[in-house]
Amino acid sequence: MDLYFIVTQLISGFTMATLLFLIASGLTLIFGVGNIFNFAHGSFYMIGAYFGYQLVSVWKVNFWIALVAAGTGAGLVGAAAEFLFLRRIYGRAQEGGFQILLTYGLILIFDDLVKLIWGTEYKSISKPSGFTGALQLGDIFIPTYNFAIIVIGLVVVVAAWWILAKTRPGRIARASAVDREMLGSLGVNVPLVLTVVFGLATALGGMAGALAAPLRSVTPGAGIEVIIDSLIVVVLGGMSNFWGAWLGAVLLGEVNAFAVAYLPAWSTLFSYLVMVVTLIFRPEGLFAPTRLRKV
Amino acid sequence: MSGRKLVAIAFVLVAVCLFSGLASAQDKLVRIGAMYPMTGRSGLYGMDSVAAAEMAIDEINGKGGVAGYKLDIVFTDSKSKPAYAVRVAERYITEDKVHFLFGVVSSGVGLAVTEVSKQNKVIFIGTDHAATELTLDNYQPYYFRVSNNTFQSMTAGAMYLKELQKERPWKTITYIGPDYAYGHSQLEEIQYNLKRFGVEYQLISKYLPKLYEPDYTSYITSIIKDKPDVLVCGFWGGDTVAFIKQAKAYGLFEKMLYFHPDAGGNYELMSAMEGEMPAGLVLSARHHNNWPDTESNRKYVAEFKRRTGRYPTYAAEGAYAGIYAIAKAVEKVGNPDNSAALIKALEGLQIKLPEDPEGFTSFIDSQTHQIVQMQAIGISEPNDKFPPAKMMLGKWKIYKAEDLLPPKELLEKRMKK
Repeated sequence: MDLYFIVTQLISGFTMATLLFLIASGLTLIFGVGNIFNFAHGSFYMIGAYFGYQLVSVWKVNFWIALVAAGTGAGLVGAAAEFLFLRRIYGRAQEGGFQILLTYGLILIFDDLVKLIWGTEYKSISKPSGFTGALQLGDIFIPTYNFAIIVIGLVVVVAAWWILAKTRPGRIARASAVDREMLGSLGVNVPLVLTVVFGLATALGGMAGALAAPLRSVTPGAGIEVIIDSLIVVVLGGMSNFWGAWLGAVLLGEVNAFAVAYLPAWSTLFSYLVMVVTLIFRPEGLFAPTRLRKV
Repeated sequence: MSGRKLVAIAFVLVAVCLFSGLASAQDKLVRIGAMYPMTGRSGLYGMDSVAAAEMAIDEINGKGGVAGYKLDIVFTDSKSKPAYAVRVAERYITEDKVHFLFGVVSSGVGLAVTEVSKQNKVIFIGTDHAATELTLDNYQPYYFRVSNNTFQSMTAGAMYLKELQKERPWKTITYIGPDYAYGHSQLEEIQYNLKRFGVEYQLISKYLPKLYEPDYTSYITSIIKDKPDVLVCGFWGGDTVAFIKQAKAYGLFEKMLYFHPDAGGNYELMSAMEGEMPAGLVLSARHHNNWPDTESNRKYVAEFKRRTGRYPTYAAEGAYAGIYAIAKAVEKVGNPDNSAALIKALEGLQIKLPEDPEGFTSFIDSQTHQIVQMQAIGISEPNDKFPPAKMMLGKWKIYKAEDLLPPKELLEKRMKK
């Protein structure tokens, strides 16, 4: 086996994993903290990609500024959606079913809004200057932009872990996952916490969309394409577990990269196989701390 | 609500019904029930098909219609879902009493709707879905297709590769295409045709990622490792855009010839990639905005641009052709009610279309009900006449329509099924 090829394939897997992680991290945050299953999370990825397109390709804004702005924009849309719609169904009997229906409705609405604003044509963003080239590794070139993605992913996972684990807002967010009523009686504005967390989570999704746009096609319906793989990552990693989501994404990315290389006919199967095995033997997630296991 | 308001609403409703009844009583109508995806990745093809069908209808009705009839079309979102489209088609037949079913982008939806057409004996004009099965294995007398299928494009593709071997000796192929009927049949058909033409080559690897896969990175590095001389690609739409963007960064196009003869030359690729579209890719599509350079094609493209503000994707011309096929058949028969006579009229029907070069007219093969058209394969090169695209195809090689039909033995074998 060619060592260069193994390294390239490892990096390929990592790139795919990082984008997956950035999308899935928002999903796992909302699920873990707010106990909300946001089926429309992919739509915020799509919205971020379109915001990125508008800023970079139409308004000619610097790519990195646009990246932050697109994430912020998607986060604001997310917070508004939570405030206007999701907030109304909290605490209902069978809330889960309502969440799926409502967020599915949001997918359709966002898809059509995007179509009304930007049309159905495929859109594109150029890579930021300085990241259009490639590094040579043996016979293979690896785009420098892919390295940028990997680094951004690592920064996000460390920052999110630090905020959730070490800061007061992070502790409040985690507490709201455990007992919203108790938190409320301690004087914390729980609805506000949920809106902010929802906004942050969708901002992460939006940023992933803008970051992926130079590599992918920006089109209505782009959100649906990423949501299934993100769900697999959340299942692998365990809910509300940033390191878990990151490791889950890396596992999925690498399994996929090497399955494509050595068993291409079966490559699609493997990601689902990993999920099924996890669900059967460790339903709380491969990387969930053991104490969270339900008895 | 007050009683007075209710009465007012009822009055308005009755008036609306009366007037709409009056309008339809004045005109005799050819009713067409169309199904196209309006959202998601294939939404672009759906919206373009709708615009082009409306354009053809305006042209025909503007000249007074056909045989005393006006054309009337209804559009419903197929949602790209076979089961849903089947319900729409059934509703069109039982409630709207349509004379023709029309449309669909996905071959999966086409295969489902052709069954409804067969059972209800209502003619289905397929405008833009390429799976060869519809006019061979799943042939039924009420189905007609008005754009080339993958067998035709892959035959042209195999001819191109055969000629290429003389200029630029190549020996190995890798294939990548989406993991469903469309992707699989292109691979089978290119292999079948290369063998039929006696081309010596080796298929060294094949990759079938799922449809709408957003990330091809691992596939690209793996293909580069395989070192084929030619990469044959079977993606369409957004998948092609994503693949080419990602592959370009890895320098894939400098390492092998990129060959994409069915849907690679679609305009939406050029417009989405703008200045980043690589030169030197060998591509084709079922209609090109810059070939043939005829008055008819220029007029069609310009009129579409005027109506929609954008240049058409190849899907539009299929819908445009479908409306003209219906108009011509109704004109021949004199009414849209006699299906048996309409089928006879459509079989062998000649229609001059924007994609036909001088001296050639598209026609419908009476045995398979498949339209027979030329295929032009070109190479991407700088051309900014169709913005936002910065590259278009050029250095055309043209393949004669009659040469692209399946050989007799294959026809007999597959139609018997």
